[in-house]
Amino acid sequence: MSILVDKSTKVVCQGITGTQATFHIQRSLDYGTHVVSGVTPGKGGSMHLGLPVFNTVAEAVKETGANASVMFVPAPYVKGAAREAVEAELDLMVCIADGVPIKDMLEIKAMLKGSKTKLIGPNTPGIITPGEARLGIFPENIHHRGKIGIISRSSTLTYEAVIETNRVGLGQSTVIGLGDDMIIGMDFVETLKYFHEDPETEAVIVLGRLGGTFEEDGARFYKSLEHKKPVIGFVAGDAVPFGHKMGYAGDIITKGRISAQDKKDAMLDAGITVVNNINHIHRELEKIFQCCENCCRL
Amino acid sequence: MNIHEYQAKKILNRYGITIPKGGIAYTPNEAKRVASKISFRGPWMLKAQIQSGARNRGYFLEEKAGKKGGIRQIKSRREIVRNAEQMLGATLVTLQTGPKGKQVSRIYVEAFNKVKKIFYAGLVVDRMKSAVTLLIAETKDQDISDIAVSTPEQILKIELPLNDGVEPKQIQQVLEFVGLSPRSAKSLETLINGMHQAFLDYDATMIEINPVGVLANGALIALDAKISFDDNALYRHKDIKVLQDDYEADDRELQAAKYKFGYSEFDGSIGCIVNGDGLAMAVMDVLRAKGYGAACYLNVKGGVDKDKIASGIKIIMTNPRVEGILINILGGFLRCNLVAEGIVAAASEVGLNVPLVVHFEGTNKDDAKDILIHSKLPIIIADEMDEAADKLIKAIEESD
Repeated sequence: MSILVDKSTKVVCQGITGTQATFHIQRSLDYGTHVVSGVTPGKGGSMHLGLPVFNTVAEAVKETGANASVMFVPAPYVKGAAREAVEAELDLMVCIADGVPIKDMLEIKAMLKGSKTKLIGPNTPGIITPGEARLGIFPENIHHRGKIGIISRSSTLTYEAVIETNRVGLGQSTVIGLGDDMIIGMDFVETLKYFHEDPETEAVIVLGRLGGTFEEDGARFYKSLEHKKPVIGFVAGDAVPFGHKMGYAGDIITKGRISAQDKKDAMLDAGITVVNNINHIHRELEKIFQCCENCCRL
Repeated sequence: MNIHEYQAKKILNRYGITIPKGGIAYTPNEAKRVASKISFRGPWMLKAQIQSGARNRGYFLEEKAGKKGGIRQIKSRREIVRNAEQMLGATLVTLQTGPKGKQVSRIYVEAFNKVKKIFYAGLVVDRMKSAVTLLIAETKDQDISDIAVSTPEQILKIELPLNDGVEPKQIQQVLEFVGLSPRSAKSLETLINGMHQAFLDYDATMIEINPVGVLANGALIALDAKISFDDNALYRHKDIKVLQDDYEADDRELQAAKYKFGYSEFDGSIGCIVNGDGLAMAVMDVLRAKGYGAACYLNVKGGVDKDKIASGIKIIMTNPRVEGILINILGGFLRCNLVAEGIVAAASEVGLNVPLVVHFEGTNKDDAKDILIHSKLPIIIADEMDEAADKLIKAIEESD
């Protein structure tokens, strides 16, 4: 088992004929991902990477039965692409692009309300279930099938967490990048819920960062769970001076002053194990599973 | 992206919001001419145009600029010339500019308006609710972010609809909260609807009118205005993009922006190159735990080529604070080998005068390491983030 994607997931790629899409979809195909078709408006009827290309997501769904989309469309076209995916009632869409305008994201979030489609991203490496499906840009060679779920708000830090699980031979059930942007689709609450329902996942790593209250919300949800799986948390941003432009000024006015430490405190209060150094995650995993760096290598 | 007060007021005025009569001046004589055009007799307001709040409580670095702040009430025409002379070209430091301050290149001259009450009105995006949110408060000379921290219940927060106008009952709510008389209702409706529409039309990330003044007849007037725009949406607002004031931004920041890189400066000594904001924060945290700080970080994001990376590295090298460089790249979209080629290109071109440590992970990391090793440059390679920081600190301390 895994969450959200596995080898039965039928993937359509929106924007398949672009350079990055071509590079990464080929890698996903080689990885064994069940990519069934692509969409590029105006290029319907052609073939790309051995897959049929359609003008619209609706056609791709009708002809190839796709139920999830990975979007490689540039930021200005994300809103239109998202609308197509929602209207075609896909289960999942994964948006890789960075730089999607905030107003477009507000409109996308409004579209998602009441629809069956879940959004991962934008500005995310995507989602990967090792050995089964890669929807995104993950460096697939670092992933190993295993029992740890990983949820991250920082694209690149995700890879560090993956390597930490490998160090103690535990591997990953599913890895999700929630996205680095101000407005994102799925959050810690939703994904923690999925991981708690997945029998293969035995522990979860959550990687948070300064900005918003996603970590606090996730911690509050975790605290409310009756049956908790062990969760290890990390929050980046201790060294960022308060009020630095790295953050959004609107956050202060709407939510007050929130530091990385506040987020860690919320996690601790909920019973989450917090590490201050991301390269110490494997030590906590060791404690939980009583393995060691050399005794249970993959 | 930010714009100046006078530009923000002009935009808001197009949405029906009342602003004081005023004009912009680049010289003292121009300031006098503008003042005469506004009214025969004073007082007038002279307002230094830098893109920062808290200008009133700021101070000038130069003695010639006098002891007063960047917002001055002036009674006579002669005083206008004298004060404009003082402020133009001088450097204004406020709570928001940092100790370096910002140079005043132009002054906004305005009619002085007597008001009987003032309050704060702001629009921001509440990211947790994915909603444009109206904020109203009686600030009484306090900073809005201070109130948000100490007494958040003093701020009225209202979620505004994304596709419709503001609801009448929301206007009523504001009217009661501020304690305005019913004769201000019409003007308040114009103000809130104007801010809301401008926010959506222009892809703003924040609009602040601080303060809104209540005139004797109950009408509302925007005494100050600030608008920030979403950089990612500027492509559809060419009329806003041309307002970008390069004068305001840091040199290295501008250079980095040319390559679509993120760049920020701090007061430490290590230059960091990363891909991703979260990673930047994590690297800074690791350094701080070891007693070191970042001088700056460059976020090269994804999909870059060798030449762009080389240019980025050169930007970091021109920062005089930098005593060592830490490159932390976790390749996904971005391929590590391209970064390695960029490092070699930059180092061979401008030379390596400070220690440089590199940690690669992910896509094509082995190729990348090979490139660095074959370059025969004195580049230190590390296998994890923590180790990279240790190796760099050791190299810096040894070179001292």
